[in-house]
Amino acid sequence: MRLKKITSLPPLSDRAWLSAPHPTLPLLATCSSNKTVQISSLRTFTPLSTIEGGHKRSIRSVAWKPNTGPQDNPESVLATGSFDATAGIWRRHEGQHEEHIHSHDHDDEYGRYGEEEEEEEEWRFAVVLDGHESEVKSVAWSAGGSFLATCSRDKSVWVWEEMDDDNFETIAVLQEHTQDVKCVKWHPEEELLASSSYDDTIRLYKEDVDDWACCAVLTGHTSTVWDIDFEKPKPSHGSAFSRLVSCSDDLTVRIWTRTSSSDSSSFINKPPSILRTNSIEEQWTETACLPAAHTRTIYSVSWCSSQPGRIVSCGGDGKLAVYEEFEVEAHEHGEKKKEWRIVAEVGGAHGVCEVNNVCWAKRWDKGKRFEGEDLVISTGDDGVVSFWELALE
Amino acid sequence: MDNENPTILNASDLPSRKRQIKRRLPSGLSNVDMGLLSSIGPTAEPNDPFSTGNVSDPLSSGEDEDSDGDDFDVEQIDEQEIYDLISTISDPEHPLSLGELAVVNLPHIKVTDNQDRSVMSHVLVEITPTITHCSLATVIGLGIRVRLEQALPPRFRLDVRIREGTHSTADQVNKQLNDKERVAAACENESLMAVLRKMLETCK
Repeated sequence: MRLKKITSLPPLSDRAWLSAPHPTLPLLATCSSNKTVQISSLRTFTPLSTIEGGHKRSIRSVAWKPNTGPQDNPESVLATGSFDATAGIWRRHEGQHEEHIHSHDHDDEYGRYGEEEEEEEEWRFAVVLDGHESEVKSVAWSAGGSFLATCSRDKSVWVWEEMDDDNFETIAVLQEHTQDVKCVKWHPEEELLASSSYDDTIRLYKEDVDDWACCAVLTGHTSTVWDIDFEKPKPSHGSAFSRLVSCSDDLTVRIWTRTSSSDSSSFINKPPSILRTNSIEEQWTETACLPAAHTRTIYSVSWCSSQPGRIVSCGGDGKLAVYEEFEVEAHEHGEKKKEWRIVAEVGGAHGVCEVNNVCWAKRWDKGKRFEGEDLVISTGDDGVVSFWELALE
Repeated sequence: MDNENPTILNASDLPSRKRQIKRRLPSGLSNVDMGLLSSIGPTAEPNDPFSTGNVSDPLSSGEDEDSDGDDFDVEQIDEQEIYDLISTISDPEHPLSLGELAVVNLPHIKVTDNQDRSVMSHVLVEITPTITHCSLATVIGLGIRVRLEQALPPRFRLDVRIREGTHSTADQVNKQLNDKERVAAACENESLMAVLRKMLETCK
């Protein structure tokens, strides 16, 4: 296989930190050191609008809220995390654009969609979430959109709940990490939160009666854990067999598998725990260390949602690497064994610059080769966002 | 003040470029260059602009024309170049430069400059704090990083580290200095940048 560049967006004026694809629309949000978020079209690979004015310093992280607005009046909601120690909530109605998508034939639609977006700049900076003492490093919405998690160099992870319109309440301040918290991510189905840190650990949290608490500590990395991502559960397996991938300054990418959880039916035979504090505890075990692909800090890792067992990573060495899980014969017992291999690599993905973020996204453009195709989106220090397809050759 | 009485090197003893030889020769010609230099022998005065002119001019005007032009746009970066960029940074608490205080030393700089400009190159700077518990080691390291990030072409990846055995919390300082997110955030911190600007004022 080969990673083939489809195209790139015009460079932003400063370092681009992260790009997030919209959960249902062909939109991409990219945040930058220039204190703005750029919204681009995944149909045409062109910039549509720029969100600015809400933050005083670099915007480090951006996340789309899932399941927003009723079907007949869709709304897009973005959360941003900034070095100015705040998080922001931005809103915008998508109603008109949906209409355009459905009422025009394809060629026309591309143009109209773009034009329409340029005309109306209606992103509204709705709320500032204050509370962190220093830079907010990452923001993430829970699967149902009811919770927002933020993390900061102040070593804490906060969980916010939207009580009613634009009213966010802090429902948990988790101070488990001993250092800067780099990343927060939610489980794709459960209300299970994960954070990774400069203290080399990953911690998982969930709600215990009415308090949020740490339910697992994942140790093994020997330096800062920069990014984490949950695997989308396979319907056949159920979420009990959840896996998490992590990448680190120690130049490794590791896979962690949940081996026991109190509320999962597969472990019903486990004797009930007497101590209430143990009732939410989960066991997570490191089950794989992916083949080494990087020579400098690995900044981002992403689990492909359409193709289980496929991961992409990027780092300070400017490289993108795609890994796949294969089933191989284990010689001694004739049993099947899983093994990860690098299936595609590209060096200098952003010229001589570092790649800060990589993710998979549904493909929407004209070049789509098959239903359910995913593309890779990389975001770099050169301010560029590039789109890549996985070519089978 | 952490160290009231640091060892100070004489400015004239600090390493500087001894010969002003143009380093723009394509790699294929470096052997010829060396040959010509050695034939002139030790009697040639290294600082004499005349002798270096005689050596390099015929070469560069003669054979360079059809060689790849790209390499000439960017000068090769070497250890002395890096030393010159950072040794003139002022210490945050002494009225002296990092070179004079021997915080920055030429033998502790490693440059791997890739001939191919489309590929990353690498600079490693190991600093020696004046005392092992210097609380300003991180600020000094950050000053060096910022100076090099501003001065060097973007192809360079920088690693600024405390020289082994010279600081009590070297691992912590190293981790912080090489965390790009922490460095980026520090560069948006006005009070810290004011300190760094003061340190960099003495740079040419």
